[in-house]
Amino acid sequence: MITCEDVNEMRVRGRAPADDALAHAQTCLRCQAEERSLAAVAGVLAASAVPSAPAGLSARVLTAAAPLLAANAARAARRYLVRALAAGLAPLPAILAFDLWLVRAAYDLLTRFLPDALSLYVVANWVGLLALLLALTYGAIPFLAARQTPALHPRSA
Amino acid sequence: MEADETLMAAVAVGDGAALAELCRRWEEPLFRLLARQTGGRDVDDLYQETWLRVVRAAGRFSRGRPFRPWLFQIAINCCRDWARRRRVDPLEHATEASEPSDGGSTRIDAAIDAERLLASLPAAQREVVVLRYYHDLPEGEVAEILGCPPGTVKSRLHHAIARLVAVVRGGAPRAGARGARA
Repeated sequence: MITCEDVNEMRVRGRAPADDALAHAQTCLRCQAEERSLAAVAGVLAASAVPSAPAGLSARVLTAAAPLLAANAARAARRYLVRALAAGLAPLPAILAFDLWLVRAAYDLLTRFLPDALSLYVVANWVGLLALLLALTYGAIPFLAARQTPALHPRSA
Repeated sequence: MEADETLMAAVAVGDGAALAELCRRWEEPLFRLLARQTGGRDVDDLYQETWLRVVRAAGRFSRGRPFRPWLFQIAINCCRDWARRRRVDPLEHATEASEPSDGGSTRIDAAIDAERLLASLPAAQREVVVLRYYHDLPEGEVAEILGCPPGTVKSRLHHAIARLVAVVRGGAPRAGARGARA
């Protein structure tokens, strides 16, 4: 059996009353008074008007947020650099081990045809060149990371 | 048009243009939410504080999460902190506001009535009414914003409406409503 509370519950939840609830509401004075009160509440709430945001408020926010945005950009750049360095350094042991093996193999091969001193000189030069290339490659990582950090390439407003 | 969530990812890496776009999109809804929660006091400051918190927390915003509940959650927390700091009674403002109405327009009076009506509610019930009634958010989203189960939202809404009905029947918010804060 439908009670006043059931009808009220449906109204409060914004549900359309079912047929039996509607029939109850039409004959119940308490429900009718409740409906009038709810309509009055809805009317008063609907009349509420808040002022619009004042002009320049968002501009003020953007000015105040500038240091925080700069901190976010710096943090993002640091994160990006760490990730790039980690990605670059991860294969370094394998690269060094391969280079060492290659230098030894080259030295063994050269000593078959050349005097030891000359073989050592050639291989030492080669090692120097390899070291320079590796240093240039790893030295470029921070610059490349900085160029690719999303914060340095903002969208157009 | 880029999604709010994408813009937030840009804000997390310091993109000011993305923040400007978000401010432009959410200026009015956020301002209205804050104004209704605080009875119109310190809204500019709270608006700014909300966005500053958004920028600070941008790195923790997960892209899979919708932006609106997250933004409103921050705004509601700002209002709660503000109320705690000020220990204000929303009714005070409504009373003050009603005094200089110099017999003005019925629209202003109606707005003051609505403000009084909202002020008669405990904060927790007012949050539910504002989000559900004025911002038309689904119960699930209101629950997410307020950090409570949907059942709690339903019960707060139920109690809020019952209270509002009682206030309307009484003609004005009762003094007893002043002390009632959830």
